Order: sequence, then C-alpha cells, then structure tokens
Amino acid sequence: MRDVNFAMTQTQKVRLKRALQCLRDCSVASSPVIVADTIPVNLEDNILKGHGTAELEGEVVATLCGAVERVNKLVLVRPFRARYKPEIGDIVVGRVIEVAPKRWRLDINFIQDAILMLSSMNLPDGIQRRRTAVDELNMRSIFEENDVICAEVRGSQNDGSLHLQARSQKYGKLEKGQLLSVSPYLVKRRKQHFHYLEQYGVDLILGCNGYIWVGAHSDGGGKNEDFEDLSAKLEDKMEVEVSPLAPHKEEASSVPLGTRENVCRLANAIRILSLLGFNISMELILDTVVASVTWNTTVRDMLGGEFYTRIAEREAERRSSKRATQV
Amino acid sequence: MGLSLGEKNYIKGGIADDLRCDGRRRLDYRSIAIDTGVIPQANGSARVRMGSTDVIASVKAELGKPSSYRHDCGKVSIFVDCSPTAAPMFEGRGGDELSTELSVALERCLLGGKSGSGAGIDLSSLKIVEGKMCWDLYIDGLVISSDGNLLDALGIAIKAALSNTGIPKVEAMPGTSAEEEPEIDISDDEFTRLDSSKVPIIVTLTKVGRHYVVDATIEEESQMSSAVSMSVNRQGDVCGLTKRGGAGLDPSIIIDMVSVAKHLSQQLIATVDSEIYAAEARESSA
Repeated sequence: MRDVNFAMTQTQKVRLKRALQCLRDCSVASSPVIVADTIPVNLEDNILKGHGTAELEGEVVATLCGAVERVNKLVLVRPFRARYKPEIGDIVVGRVIEVAPKRWRLDINFIQDAILMLSSMNLPDGIQRRRTAVDELNMRSIFEENDVICAEVRGSQNDGSLHLQARSQKYGKLEKGQLLSVSPYLVKRRKQHFHYLEQYGVDLILGCNGYIWVGAHSDGGGKNEDFEDLSAKLEDKMEVEVSPLAPHKEEASSVPLGTRENVCRLANAIRILSLLGFNISMELILDTVVASVTWNTTVRDMLGGEFYTRIAEREAERRSSKRATQV
Repeated sequence: MGLSLGEKNYIKGGIADDLRCDGRRRLDYRSIAIDTGVIPQANGSARVRMGSTDVIASVKAELGKPSSYRHDCGKVSIFVDCSPTAAPMFEGRGGDELSTELSVALERCLLGGKSGSGAGIDLSSLKIVEGKMCWDLYIDGLVISSDGNLLDALGIAIKAALSNTGIPKVEAMPGTSAEEEPEIDISDDEFTRLDSSKVPIIVTLTKVGRHYVVDATIEEESQMSSAVSMSVNRQGDVCGLTKRGGAGLDPSIIIDMVSVAKHLSQQLIATVDSEIYAAEARESSA
C-alpha cells in the first residue's frame, strides 16, 4: 500500500500524535537496533554471527534495522521491514505474468517470479492423470495472463527457482473482487489464511506475501461447475453456436450491492490498518469493520482523517489496558 | 496496469452500482492535501497529494522579451515530467509520451492560444517595460507517484504554486532612446504576489461503461473508454476542454458532463482554496 495522506484538522492531528505516542510506549519489541548499533555480546562465548550482523573493530554491529534475536550462540537481526521471503507451505496470492511451456510464471512480491507447473495443479476435471500435449495447449483456459490466483509455496528447486502448487479445490483463480497490496511483514503466518465471512458473504484471503484478496464469496461447488463448464466449452469450441450458459454467466459475474459494500468496507479496513502499520489479522480486520458500523461511518469516510485517528486511538487504548492488566 | 477479467468486471460493476472499489461514489473526490513552498529555489511551488497520486509544481520567473504580437504581456510555458519513481515504465524515454500529453492538455486548459490571448493566468501583470521586457514564467510539473487523475492534480498543484509565487519588484529606468535596452533594478526582498484567483481548475470526467466518474484511480483509468477534462474558473465558465481516448461520445453526454463539471468545480475550488490558505499559513508559521 502506497503512502496516503489525509486531510486532517488540527485536533485530529494532536489526537493521532498522542495515540501513536501511546502505541510507541506499549511496544514490546526486544531491543530494537538501527544500522551500525553495537550489539552487546560476550565475545568469549564463541558466538555465531547471523544475518544482519557484522564485525567491526572487535565489536558486533547491526547491518540492518530490526530486533536482535539470540538462539543459543547465534545472534541475528530480524529486520522490521523486509521483502517477502517464501517459506514452504505459505499461502500466497499472485498474478500471472506469463504463460510459458508447461508452467505459469507469477508475480508474488518476491525478488523473483514464482513458477506454477501445470503438473502441480489439479486439472479442471479433477481426474488424476499425466498431462498431455493437449492440456498444455489449453493452459490459457485455466489461467490467463493477469489472472489473480492463490496457491501454496511448494519449495525452491535446485536451480533456485521458486515453485508453487495448487492441488486443492480451494486454490485457483480469484474473481469478483479486488486485490490489495500491503507490506508483507504485516501479514503473519497463521493456521488459517482463507476466510469465508458468512455474515458478509465475502471471501478474504490473506496471502503471506502481502497480497490480500477481498471478493464476493464463490462457493467451491460453483467453482467446480465453472471449471466443468469451461472444459465442456473447450470441447465444443469448434461449434459456432453460442452456449445457452453464456447469459447465465454474465448474470453470475455481477456482485449484489450489499456484498459489494461489505467487500469495500473490509478492503478499506485493511487499507487503514496497513497505513497505521498494524498487523493484519482476521480479528483486527473484523474489529475495525464492526467499529466502523457501530460508529456509523460510511464506507467512503473510512478513508478519512477522523476514522484513521479513531482506529489509532482504539488500538492504543486496547494495548495500554492489556499492558496494565499484565503489570 | 494488468488486471484480470474478473477484476475488470468488478470495477465496471462497481461504477455502475455507484460504489467504487474504495467506497467512493461516482462523483466523490479522494482527500486532497496541499503543501506550498516545497522547493526553496523556485519562485513558487506546491505539492498536491490525492490518495496515492503525488505531484509537485514549481514556478520559476525569468526576465525575457515579450513576443512580437503580444508586446504588453509576459509568457508562460508549462512542462511536465514523469519521474521513474512513479512507475518503472517511466524509466528512460518511457514517460515522454505521457509527459507531452499532460503538458499539452495543461497548456490547452490553462493557457490561451499561441498569442497568449484568453489565458487563465493574467499575462499583462507580467509586463515590465512594454515591448522590451517581461517576466517569463516556467511552470514545471513533476509526477512523483501516479495513481490516476494526474491532470486534475497537476492543475491544482499549478494553481497552488501560482498563488505561492512571489515575483520580485522591478524598477525600470526609462531608456534614453527606443532601441536601447532599459536598465532595471530587481529588488531582493520585495515581492508582488501573483493573482491566482482567476486560474481555472481542471475537472476530468472519466467514462467507464455507461457512466462517468470523477477522480479516477489508475485501475479505473485502465478501463475508461474516454475522458473529458474541463477547466472551469471561479465564475463557473468553462475555460478549456480536452478529450482523451478514441471512443466517441454522444454530444448530449458532453453537455451533461459540462454541467456536472461546472457544479463539481465550485465545490472543488472552495476546498482547494481553503487547503491553499491552510498550507500558506503553515508555511509562514514554520
């Protein structure tokens, strides 16, 4: 999410400043360092210098801005802001940038493009079999360039390329919604990254790479049908006759206004949280959405100075009360 | 800007439903933030941010000679540059096309014809010695971050920069003969403010599908069929009009757009004026 500036009144600025100060006081980051800070170590302990550290004139100094972590003898600096680094099993949301032989290349906000092999995803018909040349020719009917899809990180190959897999019904193409981009460090790895919010009729996918999908709910069955429909169409593609399903599909592509409003509300909640630099978790998003409803904030006013300040104050209050109970 | 078919349909559907991706209605602006005096070397400068769109305009005044057909007026020229920090595609010569398009559109909206008649900026106030010497204003726009609606943002930035501009007071000694160059004395600490109240503001209406929106984001702009930019002044008069995009428009829609733009511009001018006033107050207190 790029930096956005809100027009704020003087009182709002003062309130925001106070809230941010309060948040700063509550922070519990373990000994943050900036570049060139000396990290206190006992050199006689035979320590190991890890990532983000260097030796300078007999002292261990930080080469990154972050929190110092110690694991037995190892001392390392975990940077606060860093590009996404995939780990095996991460759920990511990405955009197809190229359809190459037997594979799709995806942008997942990593330093290199990820690869999704045709062989590491379920075929639309769901049958397990070898991929034939025909399948390869029909790859564009599954994913096209610019399609947004979600997948799982499979691991990196020997040549250093990063591979993804999509071996389940829940992975695949995402439609009827919007893609948000936040700083990847704001999305923490959780058990659950797919969320279906029944009360709002919205699907929310928090990609570990900082790409977040908010869209109208499409149920798995429907998706399956869609695929079947697609493969059926492929077989009949020589026929000139227009499929009777076409108008039905057109209708299905529109999102009801209520759902659209919910999608916008969730999206704006995520935007606000990312601007404030709060960790983006499902609980906090829902809390923000509920707050916006109880404060009678319209969806468009959520991206305004007043709401921004109130959310900052709310979080500051929560953290300071939590701290008070701990003490 | 690559968008999948699903996203494109979603954006179009949102505009048809009067609820855009960020929750705005069709005729809502994003919040506008203005800073003035951001470039100390320039005579006047301003930075305007609308959402993630970020532009800077600066005004530099230099002594020059009036053109032969308008000898009692100064000259104004506008250049826009797209920084590669805004988008990787602006690197090298990639931004030239957009830069030229924006410069031409701004010139058409804010300046008059070649002769300088009918300009939104009062050119006769730039006169020093008739036929001999005048101020040339070089207005430079810089796009730092692009999230759509660049033309409107640049228009606001130029208006703010012009109201921030101080032109040095000049004492001209009358030359002894008509051919001789007049002697001048430029004051270092006395400035005259440019009157920017007549400078029009640009309202761009972007047509997506059957409807048009104001202050389109870059995603919405990628789905536009055509966009009409109107510059409207405080009196509600249309000072300039440009159309982008190849798709045709029905004349009745253009008439409709003009009246909508006129209505919107009056609110926008009020917002921009108060923002400029606040920015000037901040600058002088800092």
